[in-house]
Amino acid sequence: MAERNESKKLHPQEVSRFREEQVKVVTGCQDQIQHWKKVQSDYEALQQRLSTLPDKLLYDIMVPFGPLAFMPGKLVHTNEVTVLLGDNWFAKCSAKQASNLVEHRKKHVKNALDDLHKVVKNFEARVGFTEDLEKRSSEKGDFVDIIEEVENEEILTKGKRTAHKPCSRPKNQDVFDTNFEGGEGDPKATSGILTEEELWARLDELETQEELLDQKDRMSYNADTNGDDTTSSSSEEENEHPSGNLPCLLGEEGWPPVTQEDSRLITCQVNGNSRHHSDDEDDERSCVPTIYFTHTVEPKRVRINTGRNTTLKFSERKEEAKRKRKNSNGNGHSVPGLTKIKMPADLYRLFVDVVNGELVPRKSILKSRSREDSMCSDTSESSDDRRGFCRNLSHDESTHSDTSEGVLQEEENSPSKPLPLPGLFEAFSGTVVEKDPTLPSLIPHLTIVSPALPTIPERKAEEVVLQVQKEPSKRMSKFKAARMQQQI
Amino acid sequence: MLRVSEHEAQLTENNIVKEELHLLVSQNLVYKLIGSVLVKQDLEEAKGTVGKRLENINGEIKQYETQMKEMEKRSERHREVLAGLQHEYQKSQGKVPVKV
Repeated sequence: MAERNESKKLHPQEVSRFREEQVKVVTGCQDQIQHWKKVQSDYEALQQRLSTLPDKLLYDIMVPFGPLAFMPGKLVHTNEVTVLLGDNWFAKCSAKQASNLVEHRKKHVKNALDDLHKVVKNFEARVGFTEDLEKRSSEKGDFVDIIEEVENEEILTKGKRTAHKPCSRPKNQDVFDTNFEGGEGDPKATSGILTEEELWARLDELETQEELLDQKDRMSYNADTNGDDTTSSSSEEENEHPSGNLPCLLGEEGWPPVTQEDSRLITCQVNGNSRHHSDDEDDERSCVPTIYFTHTVEPKRVRINTGRNTTLKFSERKEEAKRKRKNSNGNGHSVPGLTKIKMPADLYRLFVDVVNGELVPRKSILKSRSREDSMCSDTSESSDDRRGFCRNLSHDESTHSDTSEGVLQEEENSPSKPLPLPGLFEAFSGTVVEKDPTLPSLIPHLTIVSPALPTIPERKAEEVVLQVQKEPSKRMSKFKAARMQQQI
Repeated sequence: MLRVSEHEAQLTENNIVKEELHLLVSQNLVYKLIGSVLVKQDLEEAKGTVGKRLENINGEIKQYETQMKEMEKRSERHREVLAGLQHEYQKSQGKVPVKV
């Protein structure tokens, strides 16, 4: 209230001061107007005198003789008038000419008077406004002059602008807390959760872990945990190759990660993905493993260009089969538009464009160098061989595949979000080739019935295939092992 | 500023004289007051003289205006310098107590 009162006090003072100034201007104008009016009246009198002067030839007048005396005299040459033109210039002219001059001067006076009148009017209006304002401020309390004090600190801080902090985290972080950096080296992912170097180190760790786990799996594949580990490790291995693909796709697509929860397949995928997502440019380490899941449907050979020398394989028929199977299982909530992803293979389905009625796989957004090591044709053949081999297994494990799907559906707690990564599809295509040549036995069992999941041919596919053929009986996929255990 | 105003007054006066001279006829005798003597002048000559006087006044006014602009610029520069010095002084004042 004190401040308000103070503001009120200041306010009328300021207003009164303002009003005073305006009044001064008005009074000055008024004085000038008076002056010019007088001049004008003088000129009029002069004109009148000039008009009457030539009436007589002589006038008897009392001539001023000094300041105090007069003398009788006569006024002659009544028509001759010497006019002061200005600036010490004189002109002798007749009375009539003089009156003309006077008339001319009167014009000037009139112009000056008009200008002064205008000024007076303006300032009188201003005075009225200020008076009104003064009255309002003094009398009524409703009108308060809003004064905002500007502190000097604010002015100073303007110069120092704090830059916006760089976006440390990507926008899509629904479930996963990993940094999905684009393969192109997104600048915004600079301050990501894991720096590039850290990611590389992490990748190394995971690889070593994988190898250890694979060895363990070989020894005891019946164990659930080991099976899970192997599947995860195998998936990780398999995913290492398309690691280059994944980050690129991730960065661009911005897909949220699959929940890393109970679903084993998805965990495998997620583990692999997380690792790959964390590795922006893990191209050098990309091996060429392919994971074959037994319950996955062998995809038709539709090549998808996922890189410079690689192609994914997509099959529409398999996709439909998969969908039918899913629907039959009671998973009817799969929206046709929103392909529910419950398996890694589902990812591939999403990223296949429909061109001319046919499903054309999308061009890979991965860097070309990410696929340098991969050999398209050779690996495709090998993958076909593998697929042929796995197909036999898949037939055997068709029931398992159904159960696996059911398992997946049960295990998957949260609805899987679309994983727009052809690279991921690759991980869970019909065939998964283990990186470690010592784990070929797992390959045939790891085939997933993924409808139309293209497989990116891997570099070591041939070796793995051979190894797979050698030891088909020993290895069992983790998924299969899990399923068997669940059945039990 | 005062000179400018004086010149402006002379300007207006001479303008009026010129106009009135135009009103006059050659029959009229024009005198010029030089000191306390009225010197007879020719009308045309008077007109010319007044015209030249006007031009001189205009030129002087322009010169005064340019001078005024220059003076204003100088004053602004000085003000800026002064402001900078004051700012530095304040900074130093601020630093000194902090240091102490």
